Amino acid sequence: MLPLILAIYAGPEEHALIARLQRRDPQALAELYDTYGRAAFALVLRVVRDRAIAEDLVQETFLRVWNRIHLINSEKGAIGPWLLAIARNRAIDYLRSSAGRERNAVELNESDHAPLYREMEAEILISDQARRVKEAMDRLAPNYRTVMELAYFEGLSQSEMSAKMGQPLGTIKTWVRTALQSLRDDLGVAVTS
Amino acid sequence: MNCDELRDHYDLYALDIAEEPERSEIRSHLHRSCEVCMAGIKRSLETVTLIGASAPWAEPSRQLRRRVLASVGLEERAGIPWWAAALAMAALVVVSVYLGVSSKQYEETAGRLRTEIRAQTAQIASLTEAFAILSGPNTTEASFGGAQPMPPQGKVFLNPARGVLLIAHNLPRTPVNKIYEMWIIPKGAKPVPAGLFQSQDGRAMHVQPGSVDVARTAAVAVTVEDQAGADQPTTQPVIVAAVPAAPR
Repeated sequence: MLPLILAIYAGPEEHALIARLQRRDPQALAELYDTYGRAAFALVLRVVRDRAIAEDLVQETFLRVWNRIHLINSEKGAIGPWLLAIARNRAIDYLRSSAGRERNAVELNESDHAPLYREMEAEILISDQARRVKEAMDRLAPNYRTVMELAYFEGLSQSEMSAKMGQPLGTIKTWVRTALQSLRDDLGVAVTS
Repeated sequence: MNCDELRDHYDLYALDIAEEPERSEIRSHLHRSCEVCMAGIKRSLETVTLIGASAPWAEPSRQLRRRVLASVGLEERAGIPWWAAALAMAALVVVSVYLGVSSKQYEETAGRLRTEIRAQTAQIASLTEAFAILSGPNTTEASFGGAQPMPPQGKVFLNPARGVLLIAHNLPRTPVNKIYEMWIIPKGAKPVPAGLFQSQDGRAMHVQPGSVDVARTAAVAVTVEDQAGADQPTTQPVIVAAVPAAPR
C-alpha cells in the first residue's frame, strides 16, 4: 500500500514537473516514473494479476500521460491521481477486452476528466486520513467491500455485479453508494454538498 | 436531468459504472463545465482514487523504467555499474589526451553522441511498436490520399491490442511552432488525441501504442496544431483515413 500513499501525497513541486513535461522535457518523465512508477505498477498488477502484462500497461500509461500532458492544468493539476486513474483505466480496459466484454468504455473519459484532477493532493492532505485507506476498506461490511473491489479492481458493471453476487440491481447500486460514503466518512473526505 | 437528479450517481460515474441515461447526462453537464457536477464528480474521484491504495505493494522490474524512458527517447543511465563508468571515463581521458582533444571539444562530442543515442533509442522503440502492429494477427489497414496526385498519401494500421501506426509521405512542411497531431475518431463521438509527430522530408511514421476499439473507429485523421497539441482538432485535417470494418 505504501507506494500509492506516497503517490497521493506528492509534494508541491509537482506543478513544476507538469510544466516541464508540457515542455517535452524527457528527464521530467524519468522523475514522474520515479515518483509514480511503483504505485501505478502495484495498482495495475492488482487488476490484471500478471507481471508482464502489468508492465506493458504501465509503459502505455506513462506514454499516454506524455502524449496528453497538455490536458492537465500546470498550476493546479494533480498529475498523480490522474496518472493512477489512467493506469487503472488501461488495466480495466485490458481486463474487459481479454474477457470479451465491452472495451474502451473508459478510454474516452481520460481526456474529459483531466480538468477534474486538480487541487486534489491538498484536499487529501487536509483530510489527513489517506494512510488509513486500507484499514477503512477492511472495516467495510463484507458485501460493501466486495462491490468496491469488483467495481474498482475488476471493472464489473452494476449488472455484472448483480449477476455475480445474486443480488438485485437496486441493491448493488445502494451498496456501492453506501460503501463509498462509508469510506468518505471514515477517511474524512467531506460529503458533497 | 438537473444536478439534483444526478447527485446520487456521481459515485457510480466516478467508478465507471453509471448507467444510461445518467452516464450521458453527467458527461453532458461536465462538457458544459457545470460547476455543481464538476465539484461532485471531483469529490467522488478523490475517494475512488484512494481505493487504489488498498492494492498490495508490488515492485516492477528494473527494465520497466528503461522501457518507459526509451519510449520518449531518454536513455537509462542508472543501470551502469560504477566500475564500468569509471573505466569508461578513464579510457576517454586517455584517448582525449592522446588525441589532444580539449575538454570543450570532448563535451561537444559527448553531447552529440548522447543526442544521437537518444534519437536512435526512440526510433528503435517506435519501430518495435510499429512492427508489433504490422505483424499483429488482427491488424486492419486503411489507405488515404490514393486518388490524389500530391497531397499526403499513405496507410494507417490499427491493431486492437497494440495501437495505431500511421505511415505517410508527401506531407507538407508544418509552419513554425506547429506540429502534426493524429486523431482517432470513434463512430458518433468526438476525436480522441492520438499523439504528436513531425515529418522529415515529407515523410512520417507515427505510432500510438495501446489498445484501440477498431470496430468502433470511423476514421484516423491528422491535423496541424500548436506545439503543445490540442484537445480537439482546431484545423481542417490534412489526412483522413476511413477505417473499414474490422476483420472477424
